[in-house]
Amino acid sequence: MSLLDTTQLALEAAMRGSMMRQTLLTNNLANADTPGYQNEDVNFQSTLANALQSGQSPASVNFTPYTQAGTADASGNGVNTEQDSANLAENGLLYEDLTAVAAQREQILITAMGPAA
Amino acid sequence: MSFFDSINIAASGLTAERVRMDVTSENLANAQTTNAAGGQPYQRQEVVLQQVGGNAFSSTLAGAMGSSPTAGGVQVAGIVNDPTPDQLVYDPGHPGANAQGYVRMPNVNPVTEMTDLIDESDSYQADVTAMSTAKTMYTKTLDLLK
Repeated sequence: MSLLDTTQLALEAAMRGSMMRQTLLTNNLANADTPGYQNEDVNFQSTLANALQSGQSPASVNFTPYTQAGTADASGNGVNTEQDSANLAENGLLYEDLTAVAAQREQILITAMGPAA
Repeated sequence: MSFFDSINIAASGLTAERVRMDVTSENLANAQTTNAAGGQPYQRQEVVLQQVGGNAFSSTLAGAMGSSPTAGGVQVAGIVNDPTPDQLVYDPGHPGANAQGYVRMPNVNPVTEMTDLIDESDSYQADVTAMSTAKTMYTKTLDLLK
């Protein structure tokens, strides 16, 4: 039996996914003027939800990015800067929520392991 | 995937946008230069960007080891001349005027340069925002250890 329960492992897997999404969205913004570049994103929530439903341990979940075929401009670039910026802000807030909950749950464990009175 | 990927990618975007801004400024500064290299009018320059990561070592290694290749940012592939023909302006008093009184002026259109500048400045801002979001996320991760 692991010290960390499924919820804690799922929180940490979600943090991993969120970090990956942050990297991909940043890469989209950096390539906003690269000819032929297409938007990339990752849907880590649905991958994680599927894994949890099928009973897979969240610690072993791998996230795979996908390329979004969108409307391209004259140079074949499909980056939607506004949408990416909005997603980036949302993802940052989500990450803060995840870390806050994970920290709180770890604090409970630390309290339980604390020195006997 | 390394921990600081996001910050490095945003930094590559900042560098690329700064180079574009430098070239736009150069174009604007030389909008009236009739006597550039070889006595020819100045040729408008343009920056070509390309994605990093397709052939980078870390992404090839990650691919070979079964995980998805990492995103690597953007880089300047080169600065090329704009092949648009020069503009002919009637100015018989100009020292560079031909027999008919026309001067060959650079193919720089200040309106295009100004809109490019707005685009570059906006992209730069987006990269800065992405970088500061990444910084907040890393700080929150460190807070987990408290």
